[in-house]
Order: sequence, then C-alpha cells, then structure tokens
Amino acid sequence: MARKLTAPLVLAVVAWCALASASRAQSLERLTVESFALSTDAARPQVDAPFHLIVSLRVREQVSEVDNLDLPMLAQLELLGDERSIVSDSRGTQYRETITVVAHAPGAIAIAPATLQAIDARDGKAKEWYTNDLRLVAVNSPANVMRAGEHAAVWALEIAVAVVAGGAVVALIVLAVVLASRRRPVAVAVPVAAPEPPPLQRTHRQDVEDARAVLGAERTRATAIAVRAAIWRSIGASEGATLGDVLARPGCNVSPLRETLVALERSAFTYDEDLTAAIDDAVSALQRYSESLT
Amino acid sequence: MNAQPADLRAALAKTIVGQESVLEALLLALLSNGHVLLEGPPGLAKTLACRSLAAALEGEFKRIQFTPDLLPSDIVGTRIFDQRESAFATVLGPIFANVVLADEINRAPAKVQSALLEAMQERQVTIGLASHGLPDPFVVMATMNPLDSEGTYALPIAQMDRFLMKVNVGYPTRDEELQILDRFAMADTQPVRAVASLADVRAWREQAHAVHVDEKLKRYIVDLVAITRDAHAVKVTSKAGASLRAADLIDYGASPRATLALAFLARGRALLSGRDFALPDDVRAVAAPALRHRIGFNYRLATEDVSADAAIDAMIAAIPAP
Repeated sequence: MARKLTAPLVLAVVAWCALASASRAQSLERLTVESFALSTDAARPQVDAPFHLIVSLRVREQVSEVDNLDLPMLAQLELLGDERSIVSDSRGTQYRETITVVAHAPGAIAIAPATLQAIDARDGKAKEWYTNDLRLVAVNSPANVMRAGEHAAVWALEIAVAVVAGGAVVALIVLAVVLASRRRPVAVAVPVAAPEPPPLQRTHRQDVEDARAVLGAERTRATAIAVRAAIWRSIGASEGATLGDVLARPGCNVSPLRETLVALERSAFTYDEDLTAAIDDAVSALQRYSESLT
Repeated sequence: MNAQPADLRAALAKTIVGQESVLEALLLALLSNGHVLLEGPPGLAKTLACRSLAAALEGEFKRIQFTPDLLPSDIVGTRIFDQRESAFATVLGPIFANVVLADEINRAPAKVQSALLEAMQERQVTIGLASHGLPDPFVVMATMNPLDSEGTYALPIAQMDRFLMKVNVGYPTRDEELQILDRFAMADTQPVRAVASLADVRAWREQAHAVHVDEKLKRYIVDLVAITRDAHAVKVTSKAGASLRAADLIDYGASPRATLALAFLARGRALLSGRDFALPDDVRAVAAPALRHRIGFNYRLATEDVSADAAIDAMIAAIPAP
C-alpha cells in the first residue's frame, strides 16, 4: 500500500532530479529575469485538434540564446512542433517558445511548470525559476461529430436513389425510412460532454505526507536525497542553494520545518553508519512537520 | 582537560569583541593544522586574538614584527659562540612557539619570508647541522597591511599558497566599537583563562580529520577549484556596472592545494558546529578564504575596477551546491 501511494512521488522526484542534474552540468547564464510564464491558446482544447503552449521569458539582458530552460514534460499530449523566437532591444530580450501539441483523448491534462536555471544578476546567486503550471480539459471535437453526420447522409442518399427506381409507393415508404434514418444521426450527434474530473490540486501537507511515506518505505541515501529535493522545491527553495540559504528564507527557520530541513540534510550527507539513525530522525521530523500543517 | 572547540571559542569571545571571522579562522587553522593570512588595517585586535588563543590553550605566544632589515636567523634562531664553554650553542628563534603572529609579513624581503614559509610547511627548522622540530600545535597568523604599500615586498603566490586561508579583516560595527570602549577604556579587560590544553587541540585535530566528507561534497569542492581555472562562463560586474568575463581577469587558477584546503577547512567547520559530517554550507563558507590568495588575477582586475572578492563570489555562485 505504501509503495502504491508513494510511487508517483518517487517517479516525480527522480525525473525532476535527473532533469536538474543534467542542466546543472551546463554553465549558467547571468540573467535578470523580469517575467517567466507558461500559457496556452486553448484552455479547453478539442481532441485531435492541435493547439499551442507558449513559454514566455523576459530578461533585462540582451542575449542571443537562452540555455538551461527546461520545457515541461508532455506525457498526455503528442508533440507536433516547436518554434522559438528571440527579440532583443535596448530594454532586454523577449524569448518565446511556441510548442504545438495535440490531445488524443478527452479529460484533464496537467502540465508542470517550465524551469529556468541561471545566475540571478541581481545578487549573483545560482537560482531556478518556475513558470506557472497549466490545468487543461480536452473535450470531444465538434468536427468529429460533423464527420459522423456526413457519413450517415451519404448512406441515406444512396438508399433513396435505389428506392425511387423500385417504385413510387415503395419509394414513399423508403423515403419515409430514409428521412427517419437521416434524423437518427442527428439525434446521436448530440455530444455528451465528458465529465470534468476534479482539478488536480495537491496540498503541501499531502506532499509532506507522501515524502514521509516514501522515506519510511525506502530508507536509502538516494531516496533521502530525492525527498530532500522535493521538500526544498515544495517550499520554493531553488536547487543549488545550501541549507543556510534555505533557512534564510522567510518562514523556513521555524520549528518544525527547520528540524525537518536539518534532518534531511543530515540524511543526504552523513556517513553510512549514521544513515539509518539520520533517516529515522528525518521521518520523525517529517511526521511532526506534516502534523503542524493545517 | 577534555574541552570542546566551542569552549575555546566562547573563551575568546569574552575578550575579543566582534572579529568573528578572525576567531573562526584561528580555530579552523588549529583544527586543520594550517596557518592564516590576515589582510586588514592595523588596530583590529589581531595581536590580542593571537595572545588570547595561546593563553586559552596554555600555549606559548610570540610576535615577530617584520621589517626590511630582518634576517632569517632573527626568525628561526642561530648559533652563537659561548666563551665559557668554548663551543657554539644554538639559540632558538621566536618561531618556536605555539601561536606566532608574523606582523606585516610583506615588509621583509623574500629570503626572510621564505624562511618563515618553509618553517610553516616543514614544521621544523635547521640551524647549523641540527634540525629542530617546531612545537605542536603550531599556528602562524601573518598580517598584511593593504593601506600601506610603500616599502613592502609582494608575497609570491607560490608562497601565499602555503597559507591555509586568507581572511579580510574589516572594521568593527558601531555597536562592537561601543563594546570595545566599555571593555578597554574602563580598564575592564578580563585576562583569558585556560579552557583547553595543547593535548586537547591535538585530539580535536584527529576528530576533524575523521569528519566525513560525502562524495557529492568532494565533487563540489573540485568543481569550485576547477572553475577558477576555466571561468569563461562566469560574468563579473565591475564597480562601474560593466559586465566582464571572469576568465579575462585571471592568469591562473587555484592549485590542488586549494582543493585540500577546502576539504580540511570544511571538516574543521563541521567539527566547530558539533557535527561529524560536513555539509555544503561548510564548503561554501570557507570557499572564499581558501581561494582568494591562490588565484592569480591580472592587471585587468585593477583597470576594470573589479574587486577580487566579487570575482571569487561570482565563481562560487556559478557552482550549484549539491
């Protein structure tokens, strides 16, 4: 049960860590980020109809390219194309990446934020920025319904021609049948909107409880590191910061969050003989922190 | 005596107002078996800090004022002829102490600096044909005055590399200066009492040596040193606001001795914090003091009006902590 509960979080943190470490290997640009957003031109995209996701970044510097920008994972969508534009002027650079995608099934689509790693030119520190995430609902396309109606009409016309050749009386009867059959698709064609699933909103407490469950179930160094990264991310701390940086953030140097962060740091960096005790301590701290959240 | 490093720190803090960086540097040097180079204006309690440290450890303190006419024998000692015995006798120099303050080290010529620095490295000196081991623990705190460059000899980077760390000493804050007034102008100075023994220091050193440094931290340390050798991707802002490549300001980066120094200092800082494992915070906290005297900046640092510390901070910030 615990494994079933924790599997999504483990996958998420492992994927996140892999992405982060890959981008960390590259050198970071020095940027003054003024805006960073993810948007779409279709909040309710139609099934099989392409639509666009747009990542917009505005920086104060004049740059010819933007490195270390990670696009969101598009697990529920098919990627059709990707177009980038960079416009620089005296006030800075506007970067815009337009991703063309298509949904093949109705239902809710959750798109994680895009991330950007750079050195913040304001204070010289390496940071990670996040866009907003997106929650879309794909609906059945009216075009699909129309096509179904057209097919039915052609079939009805062929029958009508055959019946006219057979006789007027029969033709009248057949005509009545045809008219009836033409009405049938129209009745069928009324689309039944797919019920919208409830929005995928997780609370911070759920994240903390999942983290505790993951670490409690898999007491390894790698899990401790992944949980540490997930907790840091959940409180808005950027990767590449130190514990001191995180504790300096508003609201982070208070109990029991402070004890949780310290315990997870110990789990990530202590020696092997101390790892079991460190993870026990971290699980207990996560429990206390979870209970303190309302 | 079985004291802890925190006891020593608390004892020193009772005498020295502020100057946290100097006190921490002295303690880290003790725990790491290294030496400290201090750069700052005169009158900032450097002598008092060294004297207090020696007193708190029941150790011996010596101060050597470096001058242009100083000779190596004035530091390490010499052999003099004893007429009564009709034989040469060895007189040990002031370097034979547990805590040595080498004041204004750059006022002496290179051969004198070398004599001191070789003694620091080898922990023994040779006088005549005999070698004499220096006491253990043995910490040298050398000072350089940045305001007064006349009549000074620059320390070669290869020699500065022998210092474990270089600390920039700043003026005290207003509140600290008021405390200094209260403590010293009112003749309320408290002599430092011994809180630890030299044997305690040797035990702490072994504990510091055993502090665990995780593989991720080792890679972080190596990355921090490596970026000083290849800083093409690092941008530095000059005091005038111009953006420059850090690589253009550097002739050569830090040596592998910096890598070792970072690991030693991180271990020492972890022990001072009561931990037996080091954290990224430990490495980052000691990165600038361990690197700043080991990087060969070129003339552009001055012509572009960039502070060396700003360039170092930019390089440190460019490496994400694990």
